Amino acid sequence: MRIAYYPGCLAQESAKELDMATRYVCRALGIELVEFPNFSCCGSGFIDEANEALNVAINARNLAIAEKAGLDLLTICSTCQGMLNLARVRMQDPSMKARVDAALKPLGIEYKGTTQVKHLLRVLTEDIGLDAVKAKVRRPLNGMKVGAFYGCHLLRPSDEMQSESGEEPRSFEDLLSAVGATPVDYRGRVMCCGFPILFVKPSTANTIAGRQILDAQAHGADAMATPCPLCHTSLDAYQNKAARAVESPLQMPVFHLPQVVALAFGASPEEIGLSRHLVRTDAAIAKIRPVART
Amino acid sequence: MSDDTIAVPFDIYRFLPGKDQIPRYQRYTLQLVPHTPVLTGLLQIRSELDPTLGLRYSCRSAICGSCAMQINSKSRLACETQVGPEVERHGRIVVEPMRNQPVLRDLVVDQSPFWREYQKVEPHLKLDPRRPMPEGKPTPMTPAEVDRFKETPRCIACAACYSACPAAEADPGFPGPMALAKLYRFVVDPRDTAHQERLLRIQPNGLWTCLRCHLCTEACPKDVRPSERIRDLKEMAIAVQGATELGSKHAYGFKENLKGAGQINEMKLVRATFGLSGMFGQVGQGIRVWRKKPEIMKKPRKIEGMDELDKIYAALDPPPKEDTP
Repeated sequence: MRIAYYPGCLAQESAKELDMATRYVCRALGIELVEFPNFSCCGSGFIDEANEALNVAINARNLAIAEKAGLDLLTICSTCQGMLNLARVRMQDPSMKARVDAALKPLGIEYKGTTQVKHLLRVLTEDIGLDAVKAKVRRPLNGMKVGAFYGCHLLRPSDEMQSESGEEPRSFEDLLSAVGATPVDYRGRVMCCGFPILFVKPSTANTIAGRQILDAQAHGADAMATPCPLCHTSLDAYQNKAARAVESPLQMPVFHLPQVVALAFGASPEEIGLSRHLVRTDAAIAKIRPVART
Repeated sequence: MSDDTIAVPFDIYRFLPGKDQIPRYQRYTLQLVPHTPVLTGLLQIRSELDPTLGLRYSCRSAICGSCAMQINSKSRLACETQVGPEVERHGRIVVEPMRNQPVLRDLVVDQSPFWREYQKVEPHLKLDPRRPMPEGKPTPMTPAEVDRFKETPRCIACAACYSACPAAEADPGFPGPMALAKLYRFVVDPRDTAHQERLLRIQPNGLWTCLRCHLCTEACPKDVRPSERIRDLKEMAIAVQGATELGSKHAYGFKENLKGAGQINEMKLVRATFGLSGMFGQVGQGIRVWRKKPEIMKKPRKIEGMDELDKIYAALDPPPKEDTP
């Protein structure tokens, strides 16, 4: 399949390992990533708070780029997914569409609304399918217990995001099972990581992140995995602060979603940038046991 | 849905503070048709199996908002949540009291934190004493004025949103979704004369603690969509007052940040939020992250078609007009 690749800012900058792992997984599965150097940032939810119409217009422009090429759009970040999809929903409101069109049309940009915005999780579980994913597994993650952490904007508001469920999704756990890992069921998996207020109200944000990590830990997770680099920042890069906020030592490896899949496909830690994580991931990888043959 | 009964295992949170050391979960299994409301099950347990079960309810019709509780970890009204789908999804029904409010007994919570925050937003019309509303006469509104309320008048104050809110959980000073949705309702009321004052007061008092996780919107039984109205309040607060808080500075700074390259410049954003001096507080963590991820110091690549983005900004985000004296 061919799809427009929207990496988002972080995967091109401080979360490069997410881009590396995405490319690894897509190469293995024959997903052709079509790149567009004119995509802009999605606004990350912050521009939406400052100026809704501007946020919609910026993302309608992004969508129109993929639309013109006749492609659906692949995101690898829950927040990018949320913001691009939100623009699609807001553009269904005639007064918003009129305002945004008035800004886009003089630039020769036409937004029609024909492009679907798909997160990698959905592409893997629905378009490619779990059987095809399973077929590429060379090293099943047998024995590794992983707590999926979805990220709010992938799921909610569930009506606008057209997500599988706002509070009880299953697809990430299904994907983890497909690559041989054992998914861990815990309440925190659909909760917030605290990122939106990480700089604004750090103590609250760190407490929220810490509680989700503790919850995963209490349910036996060897690692967490997230489809969102913002969640990854909160849970991995700021885990030391989260630990201080919840007054517990934390040492929870946190993978990006495609890293987990790539590991099972046989990728080396270097190929998917695991050394770039703040919390070491080797303890979780050491849990992987060869599948017993009967 | 079928009228055949199914076995419904309820695991109910039981706790009487002062008497019980720790909460426990008690299992009761009933035979019910799948479309039975959870509340009906709980009332059957209380009348047939255990008269000591504490719960709060009244209308049984999703109007009074009394029976909000956690059903398989979701904050819901027990009267409108059916047992069938819950059993199908989870194999059982775990019933717990709402979160973020102290438990009084079993499923009954002390709602004072919720109501305290509600009172703080002064949920009543503030009128100009020089222009009292005409006695005994209605004050008509145009359809456009009514539309601005969005779904907020539907709120039944059940507190499901407050129970679901992770910001309220981690920060007891956060007003919570319902109080903020209520505030919105008065800010857009054409009869109210304290719009600006209300916005000025909320900006430094919790508005920017909202995580926009949308768990409140998911939990709300009346589709009030508090998270979306909180977003509206944020934009209105910046419009009235400018960016005065760390939260609004961050949002405003993010918007300005894209103007250079079309992609986020992480260092520039930290500076816009905290100011040059405030950046020092971020240095320690910054160095820790930079060692593994040196890109946080790099300028982002400038996107192609930046001129298009500039023109979109010019059209939809013009610089604020100078006040004419």
